[in-house]
Amino acid sequence: MSWIREGELNLLEKISANILMAGPMPKHVAFIMDGNRRFARKKKLERHDGHMQGFNKLAETLRWCKHLNIPEVTVYAFSIENFKRSKEEVDGLLDLARQKFERLLEEQENLEKHGVCIRVLGDLNMLPLDLQEVIAKAVVMTKNHNKCFLNVCFAYTSRYEITNAVREMAWGVEQGLIKASDVSEALLSECLYSSNSPNPDLLIRTSGEVRLSDFLLWQTSHSCLVFQSVLWPEYSFWNLCEAIVQYQLNHKSIQKARELHREEQALQQLEADCACIAEHLQHQGNGKPADAQRRQEALQHYTVAREERVQDFLQALKHKRDTFFTNLCSETVLT
Amino acid sequence: MALLYGLIWRLLLALVRIKRATVSWLRVRLRTWKGSFWQRTMAALLLPVPVSEFKQNKAGANQSSDGDDDGKGAGSRRSRWISDGISLEKLPVHIGLVVAEEELSYTDIANIVVWCMAVGVSYVSVYDHHGIFQKNNSSLQEEIVRQQHNLLGGDDSTFNMELLKNGSDKPQHFVVSCRPIVKVLSPEDGKHSIVQAARKLCHSVEKKEWSSKDISVSVLDILLRGPIIDTDHITIITIFIINTAGYIMWKKEP
Repeated sequence: MSWIREGELNLLEKISANILMAGPMPKHVAFIMDGNRRFARKKKLERHDGHMQGFNKLAETLRWCKHLNIPEVTVYAFSIENFKRSKEEVDGLLDLARQKFERLLEEQENLEKHGVCIRVLGDLNMLPLDLQEVIAKAVVMTKNHNKCFLNVCFAYTSRYEITNAVREMAWGVEQGLIKASDVSEALLSECLYSSNSPNPDLLIRTSGEVRLSDFLLWQTSHSCLVFQSVLWPEYSFWNLCEAIVQYQLNHKSIQKARELHREEQALQQLEADCACIAEHLQHQGNGKPADAQRRQEALQHYTVAREERVQDFLQALKHKRDTFFTNLCSETVLT
Repeated sequence: MALLYGLIWRLLLALVRIKRATVSWLRVRLRTWKGSFWQRTMAALLLPVPVSEFKQNKAGANQSSDGDDDGKGAGSRRSRWISDGISLEKLPVHIGLVVAEEELSYTDIANIVVWCMAVGVSYVSVYDHHGIFQKNNSSLQEEIVRQQHNLLGGDDSTFNMELLKNGSDKPQHFVVSCRPIVKVLSPEDGKHSIVQAARKLCHSVEKKEWSSKDISVSVLDILLRGPIIDTDHITIITIFIINTAGYIMWKKEP
């Protein structure tokens, strides 16, 4: 079954979509696609069939999102915690992933036509090498597409992602690219796997479970969270509309909270820069206080230098990550 | 056509807001209404029926209602709440209250804290995204003590809780205590604390005391976990707005 579903909405769906799109629409929706196994039990299917139905529903949901002008979708496909499931189920899930990513490679033309960019976020080193290679090919093949974005979280948890971001910043310090005092909330965000995406506006979890399961904890601190009781393989266009209405009802208050947070971040950065300048001037001035103008000039220079350091570091990090994927692709060519 | 869709959209949102307000109003009214007819009606309207699912404590069922303020009423309320907590299949060890209201009610929060402790929850964290509760934690503490006295009676020291000001605050004593613990948090205890931990680690790397490869989830766990709350799981209650208002939980299963 294809990742890309063609087909228009029916008349009622089109009218509902147009009504919804009169209001503020989320630009990025994240899904915790929960309920595949319960669906399989309910329909007396094998677990593997439940997961297969789950994938089909993902493809259909992407079609709805395209028609609702939602350009970016992130899905929680496989958690690091899922490795603790039975070997049979884990192998089944990894096989399914292998099949689906290989199918993706066959749809290159379609992906180009629709401008779909696939990104895979997670600790990919935990996956079998052949799966890493096929994922890398899909990512490299679509990296220049820019009409819509699908982020698949695979071998992912938020704590591992945040830890990895901290490790990358520490690597930057080791390489002499940044200083420890450059570490900030904004920089940490840039070092996450999801740094190429804006934070999700809306997070939807299906199956009735009301928890976040270590998914995008950093990125969803100011997102609308919607918990729906429907099982993922039974998810419908109307469930999606219901979630979007929730987002629209809370839109103003969330925007206000985000704005407040941005202001606080800017203030914290300014305070941190001032503290660094004060320390530096104290050393230089041998205990004599510097005048306000000198402090202001020093602050401006310091801020410019810090921003340049950070840009160079982020370029180096991007290069490191791109090289990881291109090396995997080269390994496939060699074998 | 766009104008028409816009009008219908406004109407749709107005209808949803009216429905929400009606449901809230009904919930308050129906709390005192018992009987299988009302429960079936509410189930049909997809409204959860609070408390009615708890097994009634036979001794408590005939006791005085919530309106009584004397010690006898407080005692019966306490025993009813304890039995409610026991009758739950699973009781959270740690409850987090994310308060996203513009106007904060110390009394409402104090009530919720007292109820949590009365049913047996060991840790309660209270968060608001302006950090107002943290700045005024003594007022919150006074209100909690007042509500404790009103709702549970003032003599029983079982429910004397310990209030910690922020994520890094340590308990006043080192003896393991069975007293419930209330933590008051602000945005500084969320992402900011993770950034501070990251800065600390990067300083260590700068001084060549650590390598970047030494940084792992367990290292961050140790730096971020408070001294007293070591639960992997935290149940979050958000009040009135469906987002976490900037609070981020460094927990395996939030």
